[in-house]
Amino acid sequence: MFIKMLPAMILTLLMTTSVLAAEPVKAAPQAVSAAAAPAQVSTPPVAGPVSAVKTPEPAKSAAAPAKVRPNRVITITMFLAIIGITLCVVVWAAKHTSSVSDFYAAGGGITGIQNGWAIAGDYMSAASFLGMSGLISLYGIDGFMYAVGPMFSFIAILLVVAEPCRNAGKFTLGDILSFRSSPKPVRAVAAISTVTVSLFYLIAQMVGAGKLMQVLLDIPYRVSVIGVGVLMVAYVVFGGMKATTWVQIIKASLLMTGTVLLALLVMIKAGLNPISFFSDIVNNQLIQDHVRMNVLKDALPKPGFDYGQRFMEPGLFLKSPLDQISLGIAWALGAAGLPHILMRFFTVPNAKEARKSIVVALFINSTFFFLINLIGFGAALYLTPQMISSVDKGGNMATLLLAQHLGGGAGSVGGDVFLAFICAVAFATILAVVSGLVLAASAAIAHDVYVNIIKDGKADQRTQVRVARITSLFVGICAIVMGLAAEKENVVALVALAFAVAASGNFPAVMLSLFWRRFNTSGVISALLVGTVSALALCLISPVMTYPQKIADDAKKIVATLEKKQAEGVVLAEKDLKALDKARADFRKNDGGTSMVGLKAPIFPLRNPGIVSAPLGLIAAILGALLFRDKRAEEMFDEIEVRQITGLGIAKASDH
Amino acid sequence: MAEKSYNWSEVANNPKYLELKRKKRVFLFGWWIASSVYYFLLPILSGYFPELFRIKLVGVINFGYLFILSQFVVAFFVAIYYTRVANNEFDRLTEELVRDIQ
Repeated sequence: MFIKMLPAMILTLLMTTSVLAAEPVKAAPQAVSAAAAPAQVSTPPVAGPVSAVKTPEPAKSAAAPAKVRPNRVITITMFLAIIGITLCVVVWAAKHTSSVSDFYAAGGGITGIQNGWAIAGDYMSAASFLGMSGLISLYGIDGFMYAVGPMFSFIAILLVVAEPCRNAGKFTLGDILSFRSSPKPVRAVAAISTVTVSLFYLIAQMVGAGKLMQVLLDIPYRVSVIGVGVLMVAYVVFGGMKATTWVQIIKASLLMTGTVLLALLVMIKAGLNPISFFSDIVNNQLIQDHVRMNVLKDALPKPGFDYGQRFMEPGLFLKSPLDQISLGIAWALGAAGLPHILMRFFTVPNAKEARKSIVVALFINSTFFFLINLIGFGAALYLTPQMISSVDKGGNMATLLLAQHLGGGAGSVGGDVFLAFICAVAFATILAVVSGLVLAASAAIAHDVYVNIIKDGKADQRTQVRVARITSLFVGICAIVMGLAAEKENVVALVALAFAVAASGNFPAVMLSLFWRRFNTSGVISALLVGTVSALALCLISPVMTYPQKIADDAKKIVATLEKKQAEGVVLAEKDLKALDKARADFRKNDGGTSMVGLKAPIFPLRNPGIVSAPLGLIAAILGALLFRDKRAEEMFDEIEVRQITGLGIAKASDH
Repeated sequence: MAEKSYNWSEVANNPKYLELKRKKRVFLFGWWIASSVYYFLLPILSGYFPELFRIKLVGVINFGYLFILSQFVVAFFVAIYYTRVANNEFDRLTEELVRDIQ
């Protein structure tokens, strides 16, 4: 039935898109702000290369006219090719999706290597592809340091999570956690946690996607969010896990092709000599100027200071070590608690394949992050940081500009084709990541809440699949609506927050369920609640929120400086006059204002809550379990332990 | 689903099982902790001992850059080593145990 509805549904959704598209958009922001990168969390505004104003300039005033201009015909053709191929995959997958296990776990018929590519596809986001190389191109080695966290996070998954979860679970996080506890409350809390984490992640991706497509294709924000949303819903609703997996595999191969190609071209250009490549960077006059004037803000060079070498030293971007450790905790533990990653282990037939898939994913992922460093440094050397930051302050366009440059430059056929290809890669990347998230969130609602709580596990296959599809549609629509609503919001912190919540709540709950005899229902619930709430609460009172009073104070300083100049009889340039007007308006609008929770200034000093919330979640888990002892849970520990260690009695994902 | 039911507590006291469990636990948690310590050295050293990261080792390439690269090498090593041990030892012990029970 659903297969027949597919073309009709897509058509309807596309029509809705075009109707909404007809509405005019407001001024396009000149920055793909952040593209959902946790990396961008603290992007300081880099003053324009030629600006001589020493006061901190408000982000928007130094408007640079430069833009990335992909060739529309080639780019759209490539986008359509990707849409076409993936929709073929969906039609094929829809034909082979009849049972619940088909829908959630691709019938357990994915091999370890395929799953490895899919996990990598789930994990490498557009934020890393575009944001991290940009960060390296502007701040040097700090950007590369940033890439280690996501790479390392696979170690915890490999060693202590993947195989036990495959052995003890079935479809969702709730399956693992409710194994020996009271199923209903635990599933309910697990579902809430899964939906929260996935939606955070999803909103950040949707907003990033919208802004990126807006710049690349020159289409309105609404159209891009709805377009991405429609495709994502189509993949998941019709093709379930099978389609999602293959979309992720296709994306991962495209992304790796693009990355390898770019890195190779950079290295060939550098004469295949990494030592001279890096000494060229250190000796590059423009990079030295950029570090001196834009990053360190030394108007006059300090005698004897090697500004080029400084690019290779830490501390240009990452300023607070404690914050880095806190973020490190979120990486190291959070990935292992992300529901959409956990879910991928149920698509393989056994623990051995689960192990293989994580090793494959780790290799792909590390190779990717290593190559990103070459691309980032290559962009700094061959494009110059000045040029990159003039196009986008956060450096998000570095990869794309480099592709254009290495392909033969703007306007050349090679440059156009290569740029279009890299744009298409970024597009495929977004599609794959959001699909996995929608599937995880809807599995939590359909499988945990509907089937196991409302229906007591008594629902036939057909009903379950239907409910799963309806839920996916619902989650997808929610994501689109929230993505549209959050256009102007600062969503960059949401991904880091999702990791922090997963590290503080899900991770201790999963670990203790599998490894601690005394763990029980109240332990799971207190871990999830305390972990989630503390991570959220700390984030709400941290510097990542917007504090109007601070904006007003900054604006006041600009006004004071410029007015002083005027008083001295200097005739201000038009740009400065505009800045003055804007600063006055900013001051009026924001003076006396408070953040979302009514604060004038942050209480919690760190941007990442992990260092406090992860221990809190763990302590809550232990205390909760000790306070309310549960004999049955303790008796059942033997079963879950034997299962997770040996794989005896493993839930067969495939039953036909 | 016709799932075979096991006497879980009996399996849990099987000497072969206990051996497998102990070996797995020592190996997995040991390597997990060791690699985490190495990972957290990165933010700690770069944040609190930046001079160390500045020491030039190969041309302009400094200790910091090579230390970041070493993180990748360590992750690769742990993954490969674990796969070998799991494929050879853990899987063999598990198979023996399953044969024992059935």
